[in-house]
Amino acid sequence: MTRILKSIEEFEGEVSESLVIVDGHDLPPARHDGGSPEIGRSRRRIDATQRVTGRARYTQDLYLAGMLHARILRSPHARARVRRIDTKRAEALPGVRGVLHRFNTPKTPFRGDDVIFREEVRFVGEEVCAVAADDEDTAREALALIEVDYERLPHVVDLEEALGDVAPQLESDGNVSESGSHKRGDTKRALKEADVAVDVTYRTSTQLHNALETHGAVALYDGEMLTVWESTQHVFGVRTGLKNALKLPYSRIRVICDYMGGGFGAKNGVGKYTIVASLFAMRFGKAVRCVLTRDEENLAAGNRSATLQQLRLGAKGGRITAIEHTSWSNSGQGKWIANPTGPTNTLYEVANVNTRSYKVVTNAGSLSAFRAPGYVEGAFALESAIDELAEAAGVDPLTLRRRHAGAGKDPITGNRYSDKHLLECYRIGAKEIGWDRRRAGGTRGSAPHRRRGIGMASQIWGGGGGPPAYATVHVDPDGSVVLTAGTQDIGTGTRTVLAQICADELGVELDDVRVQIGDSAGPFGPMSAGSMTLASVGPAVRLAAHDAREQLLGAAAGVLETPKAELRLEAGAIVSKGARTPLGEVLGKVDNNTVIGKGIRFPNADDLAQKTFSAQFAEVEVDVRTGEIFVERIVAALDVGRIVNPLTAASQVEGGVIQGIGFALSEERIVDRALGRVMSGNLEGYKVPTVKDVPTIVVKFVDRPDRRANNLGAKGLGEPPIIPTAAAIANAVANATGARVRHSPLTRARVLEALALAGIRD
Amino acid sequence: MNAFSYVRPRTLSDGLRLLRSGASALAGGTDLLGLMKDGLARPELLVDLTGIEGLRGWSRAKGKGLRIGALTPLVELEEAEELHRAMPILRESLRDAATLQLRTMGTVGGNLLQRNRCWYFRDQATACWLKGGTKCFAVEGENRLHAILGAHECVAVAPSDLVPALIAYDAEIALASSRGRRTMKLADLYVAPHGRERREHVLRPGELITEVRVSESALARKGAFQKAMERKAWSFALVSVAAAARIERGVARDVRLVLGGVAPIPWRVVAAERGLEGSGFDEAACAEAADRALQGAAPLRDNGYKLPLARELVRRTLRSLVV
Repeated sequence: MTRILKSIEEFEGEVSESLVIVDGHDLPPARHDGGSPEIGRSRRRIDATQRVTGRARYTQDLYLAGMLHARILRSPHARARVRRIDTKRAEALPGVRGVLHRFNTPKTPFRGDDVIFREEVRFVGEEVCAVAADDEDTAREALALIEVDYERLPHVVDLEEALGDVAPQLESDGNVSESGSHKRGDTKRALKEADVAVDVTYRTSTQLHNALETHGAVALYDGEMLTVWESTQHVFGVRTGLKNALKLPYSRIRVICDYMGGGFGAKNGVGKYTIVASLFAMRFGKAVRCVLTRDEENLAAGNRSATLQQLRLGAKGGRITAIEHTSWSNSGQGKWIANPTGPTNTLYEVANVNTRSYKVVTNAGSLSAFRAPGYVEGAFALESAIDELAEAAGVDPLTLRRRHAGAGKDPITGNRYSDKHLLECYRIGAKEIGWDRRRAGGTRGSAPHRRRGIGMASQIWGGGGGPPAYATVHVDPDGSVVLTAGTQDIGTGTRTVLAQICADELGVELDDVRVQIGDSAGPFGPMSAGSMTLASVGPAVRLAAHDAREQLLGAAAGVLETPKAELRLEAGAIVSKGARTPLGEVLGKVDNNTVIGKGIRFPNADDLAQKTFSAQFAEVEVDVRTGEIFVERIVAALDVGRIVNPLTAASQVEGGVIQGIGFALSEERIVDRALGRVMSGNLEGYKVPTVKDVPTIVVKFVDRPDRRANNLGAKGLGEPPIIPTAAAIANAVANATGARVRHSPLTRARVLEALALAGIRD
Repeated sequence: MNAFSYVRPRTLSDGLRLLRSGASALAGGTDLLGLMKDGLARPELLVDLTGIEGLRGWSRAKGKGLRIGALTPLVELEEAEELHRAMPILRESLRDAATLQLRTMGTVGGNLLQRNRCWYFRDQATACWLKGGTKCFAVEGENRLHAILGAHECVAVAPSDLVPALIAYDAEIALASSRGRRTMKLADLYVAPHGRERREHVLRPGELITEVRVSESALARKGAFQKAMERKAWSFALVSVAAAARIERGVARDVRLVLGGVAPIPWRVVAAERGLEGSGFDEAACAEAADRALQGAAPLRDNGYKLPLARELVRRTLRSLVV
């Protein structure tokens, strides 16, 4: 019977309620007895061959016949009014098809604005015009011929400058606005009564996503349908963005993302490049490609906000009694901020907590979600501060955390966790790193002037996923299977794990399952973000496969004239009393019939909190004369429910840790304050980790199904592994040297300064 | 990138003849093509030198020192065992230069003439002083990577790792143009941009480096190289140090000390060299030399860390020659 149910979901640290149409019943939790043919098995990616042979088609690879090339003219000024635009010379250039700008472009709502070309441009890199031409070089050449009359306005790009009195006020209510707060207990009193307290300020620099594939879209309009290929984490989100911008019905928009080269949160919805490509495509009836360069990518495609964070912590009797945490985030021109106080609000059971989070607008590119937005920045500050408090209190930092990490309830809502094994993560990680070797003050390193240290940090994050998400399983008469699901594989291995779930539940071989995803022509599914893909889509796939299996067994019962109860479907064959009949042979008797199994994601329990937990342990050496940090080993111990594919899961963790190392040690957007320009906007200036920067990474999973979370028992894994890395490294550096670096990344300059302050360098 | 003509001559004389105004010489292209793509170089004609015989490879004739052809890929210098025995500092200095891919394409001549990496210089939209503008934006801007020594109007730093190592061995370069040939000390090739000299070297228009030479007596020196980077690979030097000396019975002679990444030119520190002459490179002498090497340093807002870093690298590099 079709009915409406309530569901509670968490996305990027925000909890919300939704209504879901459901039909039928969910499955009981999947078995976890080691007997599953696919779930829990390491499997090579099913698309690995396509990828490594170059056959996998990414958006950037797409060159359609007669395709036009669009390029975007971007503001060279951090803040200016666009008074006049002269495109005569550009339009006279042979090969130029058209120019879009604020004076000739229809209203196209985009993220809270009603236009894509604003009268007042507010950061270097903001879109001013777009040109379509027969080839890329002509389009680029045309940009240089456009004359724009700018009236320059005062600007501010730096977070702390924007907080000050002399900065230009960019919004009518100022540059600073409160975006969230949480209070429980009485921190003032607790701090007054504390035996020890620390009062510390941390900073984190802006991190840029720098996915291997830049943002981009190819749009094609045939007079009826707008088809857009886009490197995106959400084909349905792009569809919605286009619907709003272009006033087309959903049925006339199809968005496809077959393969993509990473997104990390920056590709969660429609981009101005998508709208530009679509507007040109609709005007000219041709395919139009608009793909960003690396420079554009680092100016205008999102970032992890820089933060300034103040923490006051108190302890009494060897326990944390109070945490105050105030955070300011540089949102650039973004309309929201991620919340760095999220971990402080929820990670530990502490009676007195008071946090506030502020959004600060500046004339810099907008933030966008970036792999655990807010929590990476917040965990760096909180988990560094916990170590500083432990040191002041004379308590082992892991012991101190243990005293607060066992709570079974979410401290804000009071809801029970669906499952939680954080203490087990501590046990596994501590054993693996050899925590008992850790000495206060560190130990001697492997070379003169080198000190060695161990540090750790923990993590909380959502990852429970939720509805709506749909899947269908088509079984063709030859026994081959097509799984269609509303999702896309952003590089995490989604295709592979969904095929495993389908094969496992259905009872066919993995090779028999073809996965059709990344296409808004299929059923809806959530964005591949917030660590929610597997926990949202996986249970729907299981249900669809189950539905198909029941139908197949019914069909087989008829064909074989055997009671259904005596039949099983195993490895692609109907098994009856020891006899195996290949599925294709059974279905051959009912040729051209198609079995369609349907699955949906049932709601989350509304009285439970689905969370992921983990701890990371870092062992480092520090050269106390040169400030060089050598990360030798990272141990990640994670509680993310059941592991479907240990190989792709470990790969997710390694990727997160490596990106965390970048955040911790070398990745930093550098903006000239006077010019407002990003100076480190390429892969020379912006230092992502290289292979030589990657230490030994040991990945350990608790691997216990969260039976109360969903029918698969699995939770998300995309974001948890990046959250604690930087704090674990900073804590290890402090343990090694006695010097505390309170600004990530821990560059030479910052490490040398901290060493000098601590009187260690000489 | 602008449209250009391309020619690949077979002889040096043809190549030199083609290098008229508006032409650029192309070897590995690892710097030039980037400059062209960023609109910082707009040659009308590219003269591809890679077809010219005789400028690639190296030789060491007995008693006549080492000769390295300007078109020799960096990776060849790095990998040749015989060369490693003769002059180990080559491999040491190249090991962390760029990436293996870049060292495979990049040539010795190109490395010597690469342009600086200042992000204001490399940004097409910024009209910095070196590109003919009125001011250096780094002086009051983002200068963590910039010069602490020897800068005038422009605070970009000399980027090469190989060059300090070669200068520590008193390398000479042979130059050719359609007007004739000349030789000079490699150290004399470089100028700190100042006044009307808005350039990093004194190569004349139409002139090519054909060869790098290291004398037999210099090859008798022991050398060492160290480099500090922002990550463990593929990063220009925050600071690099090349040192060389002839050590006889525990006493140092012909001491050379050259720093990269700290000044607009490879920063040879004669005062420190003199102080070490005749010493045993003991801790005190090396520490004093390190102090002398940084004398006159004028750090900017964000690059003060280069002082302690350079001081320690100098001390370590010098000490590594005797321990």
